[in-house]
Amino acid sequence: MIVGILASIAEILPIIFYLVFLKRNRGEGLWVIFLYCVLSILTEVLYGITKSHIIFGFFLIVQFTLFSFFAYSSIKQKKLKYIPVIGAIIFYVVAIGNFANRKFDSLSASLASVLLIPYCIILLYEQIKDAQIDFVYNNKKFWVIIAFLIYFSATLFLYVYYSTLSPEEQSMYWSINNISEILKNILFSVAFIMKKRHTDPYAVDSLEP
Amino acid sequence: MILLEVIGPGNVSLVLFFGTIGMLALTIGLIVFIIFHQRKVIRYQLKLQRMEQDQQKLLLNASIRLQEEERQRIAADLHDDAGPLLATARLYLNENLVNLDKTTQLQSIYNAKSIIDDTIQLIRNISHSLMPPTLKNFGLESAVNDLFQKISGSGSMNASSRFHDYRERLQAENELIIFRVIQQLVNNILKHSNASFIHLTQNTSGDKFFIRLHHDGRGITQNDFNKLNKSNVGLGLKNIQSRLKVLHGKIFFEKDMSQTYYKVTIELVKEEEDKLQEQE
Repeated sequence: MIVGILASIAEILPIIFYLVFLKRNRGEGLWVIFLYCVLSILTEVLYGITKSHIIFGFFLIVQFTLFSFFAYSSIKQKKLKYIPVIGAIIFYVVAIGNFANRKFDSLSASLASVLLIPYCIILLYEQIKDAQIDFVYNNKKFWVIIAFLIYFSATLFLYVYYSTLSPEEQSMYWSINNISEILKNILFSVAFIMKKRHTDPYAVDSLEP
Repeated sequence: MILLEVIGPGNVSLVLFFGTIGMLALTIGLIVFIIFHQRKVIRYQLKLQRMEQDQQKLLLNASIRLQEEERQRIAADLHDDAGPLLATARLYLNENLVNLDKTTQLQSIYNAKSIIDDTIQLIRNISHSLMPPTLKNFGLESAVNDLFQKISGSGSMNASSRFHDYRERLQAENELIIFRVIQQLVNNILKHSNASFIHLTQNTSGDKFFIRLHHDGRGITQNDFNKLNKSNVGLGLKNIQSRLKVLHGKIFFEKDMSQTYYKVTIELVKEEEDKLQEQE
């Protein structure tokens, strides 16, 4: 219960920090994540009112679309850009097929996690390969990527087995999702608070100890 | 579902718990690995950059020192040689000359003229050492041939040179740089190698321009060259390196296949020369 409340509060944090530090986040492509956070809160509110799982199904599609777009726009290698496109096609076929499902769509949620984890790994790979990027943790996108990576890794098994759990177990294990949400939102907040750094890691100044 | 049947419904909680923990451990492990790996790579790159900067600093210092030495040499030549000569000439041409008899006057004028001629020759020599006229007027091939003839003429060493493919002259500034490098190499051979002959050949291969020097004395290999370049000694070698850097050229020191001769190869890319020309 407390975790659930904390998770709900944590959802507001990235939105506040994005708006407070708007200047820092301009031109970084983080508006997608801001939009994602806003839609996430709206979903929670709407679910609270309607108690319909269709809202979660809809949010799942939106969530996948936004992160796929974020990944697509962040990937620099042309060959790798096809991966989110192909992944999106597979996901939409499955998600739209299960959209009318009144229960939690375990299959689509698991598929989203399975597809989004490799996107995160590709993005991290590109970041460490890019010589222009400063120390990877000085980059805003790095924190967004690890937020998603931790979130989807932590909830993968929960989504896979969710439909097979009893209602008590579902409620008990849902705290995994809540804790992951808190972590994700904290990491988003870190990304939004961070100052823009465009220093060259090999600059003469950085030679000094 | 297949996975669920294999696991059995009772173990789902266990799989879910350990699966989540496992995935989280893998993710955190991956993130930590990425951070440490990148830090390691950047540190390594910084180390390389620092080494390169140190090397540049050494080359720059060598170049400045050489320039200063050259200035001191010219100053010494002018002060110690040209100065006394002109002062002596002035003594011959003093105010009392008009009061002396004609024979003494003629003798004094003759002496002063002779001293002024010597001074002219001295200044010409200084000027030639700064920019050899043969190089300026007739090019690298003639200047090198001239240099080698002078060495051979001294009788201490047999020096010969042969340009196989030098129909088109390089840019004057670049010819001077190459000539200075050859001069420095020959000077090193004369000073340190105790060789009985030096042979220089020039040829081209595709867009590459080669100058090779062979000698039968004590020489250095590429390893020695690299070591000397990183140390505080070997000013001449550093100077060679910094001069060649201007032309984006390379130099290789090696022992001949027969292990009898030492070979120095200067490699330049003709395109680089053209680019430098365009930049100017």
